Amino acid sequence: MPEEAARARTTYAEVTDEDAVAGIIATYRDEPGNLLPVMLDINRHFNWLPRPALEHISDELKVPLTEILRVASFYNAFSLTPRGKNIINVCLGTGCFVKGSPRLLERLERKLGIRHGETTEDMAFTLEVVRCIGCCALAPAIRVGEATYGRVNPDQVSKIIDSYIETASL
Amino acid sequence: MKIANLEQLKEIKARGLRLTYPDKIKIMVGMATCGISAGADKVYAALSQRIAELGLDVVLTKTGCIGFCQREPLVDVIYPKQVRLTYQAMTSESATALVDALKEGRIYESQTLCRIDQEDFLVEGVVRPYANPHPPELPPEFPRYEDLPFFSKQVKISLRNCGFINPESIEEYIARGGYQALCKAVAEMTPEAVIAEVKASGLRGRGGAGFPTGLKWEFCRNAPGELKYVICNADEGDPGAFMDRGILEGDPHAVVEGMAIGAYAMGAREGYVYCRAEYPLAIDHLKTAISQAEGLGLLGEKIFGSDFSFTLKIREGAGAFVCGEETALIASIEGRVGEPRPRPPFPAQSGLWGKPTTINNVKTWSHIAPIVARGADWYASFGSGNSKGTTVFSLVGKVNNSGLVEVPLGITLREMIYDLGGGIIGDRAIKAVQTGGPSGGCIPEEFLDTPVDYDSLAALGSIMGSGGMIVMDEKDCMVDIAKYFLDFTRDESCGKCTPCREGTLRLMEMLEAITEGRGQEGDIDKLIKMSGLIKKTSLCGLGATAPNPVLTTIKYFRDEYEAHIRDHKCPAKVCKPLITFRVLEDKCNGCQLCRLRCPVEAVLGTKKEPHQIIQEKCIKCGACYDGCKFDAVVVD
Repeated sequence: MPEEAARARTTYAEVTDEDAVAGIIATYRDEPGNLLPVMLDINRHFNWLPRPALEHISDELKVPLTEILRVASFYNAFSLTPRGKNIINVCLGTGCFVKGSPRLLERLERKLGIRHGETTEDMAFTLEVVRCIGCCALAPAIRVGEATYGRVNPDQVSKIIDSYIETASL
Repeated sequence: MKIANLEQLKEIKARGLRLTYPDKIKIMVGMATCGISAGADKVYAALSQRIAELGLDVVLTKTGCIGFCQREPLVDVIYPKQVRLTYQAMTSESATALVDALKEGRIYESQTLCRIDQEDFLVEGVVRPYANPHPPELPPEFPRYEDLPFFSKQVKISLRNCGFINPESIEEYIARGGYQALCKAVAEMTPEAVIAEVKASGLRGRGGAGFPTGLKWEFCRNAPGELKYVICNADEGDPGAFMDRGILEGDPHAVVEGMAIGAYAMGAREGYVYCRAEYPLAIDHLKTAISQAEGLGLLGEKIFGSDFSFTLKIREGAGAFVCGEETALIASIEGRVGEPRPRPPFPAQSGLWGKPTTINNVKTWSHIAPIVARGADWYASFGSGNSKGTTVFSLVGKVNNSGLVEVPLGITLREMIYDLGGGIIGDRAIKAVQTGGPSGGCIPEEFLDTPVDYDSLAALGSIMGSGGMIVMDEKDCMVDIAKYFLDFTRDESCGKCTPCREGTLRLMEMLEAITEGRGQEGDIDKLIKMSGLIKKTSLCGLGATAPNPVLTTIKYFRDEYEAHIRDHKCPAKVCKPLITFRVLEDKCNGCQLCRLRCPVEAVLGTKKEPHQIIQEKCIKCGACYDGCKFDAVVVD
């Protein structure tokens, strides 16, 4: 395939996105085994892995797209669908499990009207489960974005989520 | 500056001592992830604000987790030449009150957890008192650190600095003897002598499998090749375990120094720390530690003026439990899908990019510097039989004192749970203790006097594992727990080998059927048979140990399986399809709380009249049960 055709990627949503991805790739270009660090940073930047970015990596690092998709679907950290502004992680580690985290998850699912693994329609929240965030002594724990909440009881769930809705509407 | 010899290290140490023990009041806030999730960041902000408001001349700093997570947020105040007091369950309000007391020149006397009169500089083997003589004016009821049951049986080697230093300060690490062992190794010992010392110490891999560390190092040292690698496995994937997080967040230099010593011993020039991305703070502190060590020449070229050079990089995991397996971890660092491969060749022969490689766990690396500094005999004086030294456990679940504890191997499970752990929450009956995560098993009460070591736990069908210890009580259903772990391993199986991929799925299906009341006679035997098959034929440790939770729960709690299968009952009242909620008419006073709490309008009743639950509508969420203040809602 001619180089031009190979570069005819699906387009980025924003013009600046291409520069962001190019910047991330440049950071790790000379590192051996750089595929994962590049993908992790892109995943963090967009909250998911947009297709044009994956094609971009494939071009630049000379890794077949199939291999990139295999890596993307293998590791839990990556998402191939867009995720919400706030990512909620309910810890299902053993410590949290025996202290009732499945009930926090149920409450969150009802509150947000989605199942875990899904995103609310307004793209405000994505609900995910995580296998231990290491807060076992303060179980059950949930993480919203970068904030960790320990010793959460089911009745507090609503209030925690509301505090993010308020912030979002400001 | 670059440190080239012991004298220069001692100069930094002197500076570090002044930082660690200033001649004015020092306030330390435990700011590990556990502390922050309990509100330590708010406490820190309140302290900082009040100190500024009052213009108080004190030092406010952060520290790692001292282990007593249950009592977080923890704040320590060092009253110079007097004492150090640890305060528990602090809030913004009590933080303000604390600063106010300091302003008035008083010792703040509320919320004290304990007093610390002295601390051990473990690496140097010296004791540094905070006060001498001890301040007589302190109320006698302030317990001493070493008298608290939670701390008294602990021996902190891995956790030597956690909760005592600012983890983001290399000077404070050096103040307590840090990097002296690296200096000793590089300047005074041959690589072979370092390996001999580690071998003689009896240290075994703390990741769980327990392979002798010194032997592993020797294999790597003797493997042909110029280029070798050392790797730290910080992909702490076991649910219910946070020892590595605690160490990396609270004392990252302990790992950096251990790895540098290992690299010197094995002839490696490069190393990687593979840390899970779920631990952002640990990664952050590790990055700081590495750049500080590079700044002082403790990493990089010609360390301590010798020919030894070592660089260390961090690689973030991307959330795959199987990457804790060493060959999968290597594949992941190489940028590939983290699938294990058959061994041999072992990583010591052909590891990262085909070069000889040694992988040790965070805890194992953190033991190295003290072993080199204090000697193998000192280290081997802790522990018992074939299990020397100490190890770190995360003691969690239904115990009163949950947290991070480091104990000499050979301590009994009962001591762990009832002395350190302070017994079971609400004085309920203990049912089991789970060790070894998804690869381990559930040990019942009758074996609580078993010593915690590699061989004794294996004899019970569990494993020591990396250090998760989850205590379960009568409200935990053992079939549900087995299902929980199988759901985990089924999800995390990489899918490369059939026994693990298909076997865990079949086990999971059978357990689902049993917990939903669809179990049949003979299912238990099928579970045992399938488990044996998976154990024998799986490619890597994940599959080979995945059936352990099923096998141990069947072995020790067979009656619970039978109750589910034969009577369609869940004795612990956990499995939803087998339980019903109902209201006791004589206890219900019609307060309506349950009706209001029910998310699906399954509770009917008018005010001051006994309510009832419509079973067809009930989703068994338990909201009515949790909310009832009169014990009128029961589960059958």
